[in-house]
Amino acid sequence: MATRIGVYFDQQNIGGGLDVAAMAEQVRGKWGDLTPVVKVMPVLAAAVEEIQADVDAAKLDGVLVCGASPRRDWDQYRFSGVQVERVNLREQCVQACKTDGSASSATLLALMAQDYVNMGVVKLQKSEVPEPAAIAGVRRILVVGGGWTGLTAAAQASQTGYEVVLVEKSPALGGKAVNMPRTSPLKAPWTSIQDSGLEAKIAGIKNDGNITVHTKATVAKLEGQPGEFTATIMVDGAEQTIPVGAVVLATGWVPMQGSYLESMGLGKLPQVTHMAEFGVMLRDGNVKARRVAFVLDTTLAEEEAAAAYARAANDEQPEAPAAKAGEQAEEELEGPVFVKEDLESYKHLRYSNTVNSVAALRMANVFCDQNNDAVQAFIIYKDMMIPGILERFYKESQNRLGIMMTKADVTAIQDAGSHVSVSCENTLLGLDFDLDVDMVVLPTGLVPTTAKDAVMQFAYRQGPDFPDLELFDGFTDSNYICFPYETRRTGVYAAGCVRQPMTMDACEEDAYGAVLKAIQCVESADHGVAVHPRSGDTSYPVFNFVRCTQCKRCTEECPFGALDDDEKGTPKPNPARCRRCGTCFGACPERVISFANYNIDQIGSMIREVQVPKDFRKEGPRILILACENDAYPALDMAGMRNKPWSPYARIIPVRCLGSVNAIWVSDAMSKGFDGVMLLGCKYGDDYQCHFIKGSEICNRRKENIAETLNRLGVEPERVDQFEVAIDEYDKVPGIIDAFVARITALGPNPFKGM
Amino acid sequence: MAQVKITPDMEFVRELQCAGGESLKKCFQCATCSVACPVAPANNPYPRKEMVWASWGLKEKLRTDIDLWLCHNCGNCADLCPRGARPADMMSAARNMVYKDLTQPSIIGKWMSSAKGLPILFAIPAILWMLVWWIRTGFNDGQWFPRAADGRIVFGQVFYGDYTIDPIFMITFFGACFILYRGVMRLFELFKPEGKLLIIGKTKPWFMHVYDVIVEEIITHKKFSDCGEDKENRKTAHMALFYSFVVLAFVTAVVAAGHWGGKVIPAIKLETPMPLIFPVKILANIGMLMLLFGLAALTLRRMKLNPKYQASSFYDWYLLGIIWAVAVTGMLSQCFRLMDAIKPAFVVYYFHLVFVWMLFAYLPWSKLGHFVYRTAALVYVRMYGRS
Repeated sequence: MATRIGVYFDQQNIGGGLDVAAMAEQVRGKWGDLTPVVKVMPVLAAAVEEIQADVDAAKLDGVLVCGASPRRDWDQYRFSGVQVERVNLREQCVQACKTDGSASSATLLALMAQDYVNMGVVKLQKSEVPEPAAIAGVRRILVVGGGWTGLTAAAQASQTGYEVVLVEKSPALGGKAVNMPRTSPLKAPWTSIQDSGLEAKIAGIKNDGNITVHTKATVAKLEGQPGEFTATIMVDGAEQTIPVGAVVLATGWVPMQGSYLESMGLGKLPQVTHMAEFGVMLRDGNVKARRVAFVLDTTLAEEEAAAAYARAANDEQPEAPAAKAGEQAEEELEGPVFVKEDLESYKHLRYSNTVNSVAALRMANVFCDQNNDAVQAFIIYKDMMIPGILERFYKESQNRLGIMMTKADVTAIQDAGSHVSVSCENTLLGLDFDLDVDMVVLPTGLVPTTAKDAVMQFAYRQGPDFPDLELFDGFTDSNYICFPYETRRTGVYAAGCVRQPMTMDACEEDAYGAVLKAIQCVESADHGVAVHPRSGDTSYPVFNFVRCTQCKRCTEECPFGALDDDEKGTPKPNPARCRRCGTCFGACPERVISFANYNIDQIGSMIREVQVPKDFRKEGPRILILACENDAYPALDMAGMRNKPWSPYARIIPVRCLGSVNAIWVSDAMSKGFDGVMLLGCKYGDDYQCHFIKGSEICNRRKENIAETLNRLGVEPERVDQFEVAIDEYDKVPGIIDAFVARITALGPNPFKGM
Repeated sequence: MAQVKITPDMEFVRELQCAGGESLKKCFQCATCSVACPVAPANNPYPRKEMVWASWGLKEKLRTDIDLWLCHNCGNCADLCPRGARPADMMSAARNMVYKDLTQPSIIGKWMSSAKGLPILFAIPAILWMLVWWIRTGFNDGQWFPRAADGRIVFGQVFYGDYTIDPIFMITFFGACFILYRGVMRLFELFKPEGKLLIIGKTKPWFMHVYDVIVEEIITHKKFSDCGEDKENRKTAHMALFYSFVVLAFVTAVVAAGHWGGKVIPAIKLETPMPLIFPVKILANIGMLMLLFGLAALTLRRMKLNPKYQASSFYDWYLLGIIWAVAVTGMLSQCFRLMDAIKPAFVVYYFHLVFVWMLFAYLPWSKLGHFVYRTAALVYVRMYGRS
């Protein structure tokens, strides 16, 4: 609760369009003792010391900087023990206010600025300095999976000074890398296959005193929160519990089991095999063939599989409701039973194309090496996908006499007695041809282990598995656009092929990244701050349990499973798992959840602080915009910067995530007399861009309920609407706002106005 | 459906690489070369398709490919190739392979394919002419370096035209012609598309097409102009060399006609050595100067080639080298003769004969064969089109 606020106007960044002196006067008059210091500065950035002097002299506990967007110069205004808030009078006010130069439009701009400044004062008034929820973080990292990625991660974490517990399911370390003694290039000059150095890597791990290795071991349970997880490890049938700070998940992949490639001869013709099997044959020197075709084009099989999939989906449709009902009944009797759905599908072939492309090159090279270049290796591809610098490997391989490549549509693979005939069409050779070979090697579908099992066994309220894995066909990827290593479970960082099929050099790099994230996580828990995406945020949700009705909405809706609960359903917060999005308080019907510096009452008070004129016709409508601060807010800033103004009747309040929008704010706005409420959030659905994964989706669902309520009250539900805005859509967002204002203007005033 | 069965031949790729196309595997099929080529037609252009056939070792496709011969080796494709695959060199290497295999006996082609065969190629005429010299020494009272009755140096004293040079070269010349004729017939056989060839519309006899090719393309060097203005030097040099050959061939014909015809019609009798101011001799020396100029220009051009884009194979250097040897020994033997230095004159003249014989006798297997095979291909295209 800021009680003594200094208000500073940054003339340089506001410009001449506003009568700043009059605004300062208004603030003094309205807020009196709450704002003992109100100053207009020609250049505020040059007056930081003066602000500090004011803070000391007038014992200020809040500073309100009115000028540029809070996204600008955010690092300049920091005063210890003092809350700082910014009022965006530049990008989203002076630059954004559509005016026609008339006296009335100047008034509208002044009103807008005044509203924003008053909202800023209230925001500070209703905000507190958060007390970080620090825990003594365990400086030990659990690495699950002892393959190439896991070994790299363990070594890296140990070298950084962290203790490591490495858990491997099989009896020996090495994973799939055991089958690849000669790998695709791992270092400069990136041109040729090399020894993997796996033995040395394993020896390094075994000799490292910081690393405890458990083979024949799996994770039986992970409970607690980052910094103080308790992992239960099943080692050879016996349970052990180990406190760990964070987890690197590197459980890798398993070869596709399904018979998707049967139409191309796999499993039918003895001369047809797939990459992973062929790799083992090469390793053991069991390849007798002289001509080998690596067929990367699996369109034939994929199309068949897709058709079969569609047929199956069609057949299933009518039976589905009955089955569901049965399931539900069962659930009610025994409570929800977790059943892992096998997420393997033909799509994994496509996802694995890059790895298979590189694998084909690698194996062709090994094959030529083993036979002194007196053999022929054909690579027949639809899309040869060679990532990044491995282009050099591709170029070098291409120079090899025995390696021949062409793009082609493979139309048939047939037995031709002593050999196999591969029929190719639309080739680069300018002719359709049949190629006789001794062996055909098809791609291996890399199916992430997480598509098959719940490898982490979370003891979380939301279940033992990662949520929504079906969105990614089983790959443990959460917020891939911005944060590749994050899973939907804070403190668990996926690396390597469990996250995305990748080559061994990429796995190493991925391991480094995930380890750094894991370390950041432990350190953040230690400091009591959020890891990501709001890195360093000291606030966290606080529950007023007295009023909690144990409705479980917060525990169910938390996108990160941060909240557990007891038998009665009382939520049990785990601040270190939390990403501070506020989805829980957006969900709470009793409004018992709040952050020290972001809460229901605060935003509600800000809404109420806006001056809503009584005369709709003369003074125009008022529209409240709740804008996601991650994407929509920057888009609005950019629109302002690029002179794409919008209606002067809009008032914007940034929110952490649309998921944090509580229905009460809409009621507040309606009862205040706002004529419409716009919710500006990210794209959602399969291709979501939401920082917090579900925010805008959840908000959209809640909006339906809000609309229903409004309808009951006799307010048109069209007055509240949600729009998707990507961060780069600055050119569209003013149009969206103006169209909404036009819609509201056509609807007429809010029936509650002036009541 | 009946599809072509392809059988990649790695040995062929290796040979192609040795014959000048060592970078051919670098091609990644972007087709920049086919776009860059100023003479490739829009329909099914070259040399992209030849590059992929080469890297897949599709020997038959390349051997039967007429486009090899339509290429005039300007090097634009090589200049623009993003991977340094040097398509121009591959095309010329493929032509070299055709010289080697097309012409019988192919053992000579094998000797011709690398510097290793050079000693044998040299030894054959060296022994032949040494034998002639030795036999003639017997006729010259045991003198290896005899003078004529009037004291002049007369090469005919040793290498007597009627019984040595003329018959040997006539056999060589007509032998080469015959071998080339068979080569051209085989080449036509290769060019022929599979199945039946049906020609619709009016046709011209083959010799009319030959005439057209000579008049429209060879005399004007039109394709060289098509290769681009920046390649004008190459055109001038090649033209100088070409016309010097024409001039020298004409001189040789006049001398032969004068000599042999003179036996029948004394009025046109012509004896060598001719005086320096004799018109035919003047023409011969002009031809020699053109030869030297063209040769020097082409050699300099080859030396200045950036190996990143284009390089020179043994075939290229053999041809330039042998012509240099012919020109230099020819010029020097005249100089020594005029200087009255009898020993160097005969020795150099001996070498001159050896090199001239090499030039003509090995023509069907050497790069010089292009003047016949390319002409044949151009004629074929005019008769039947490209495949």
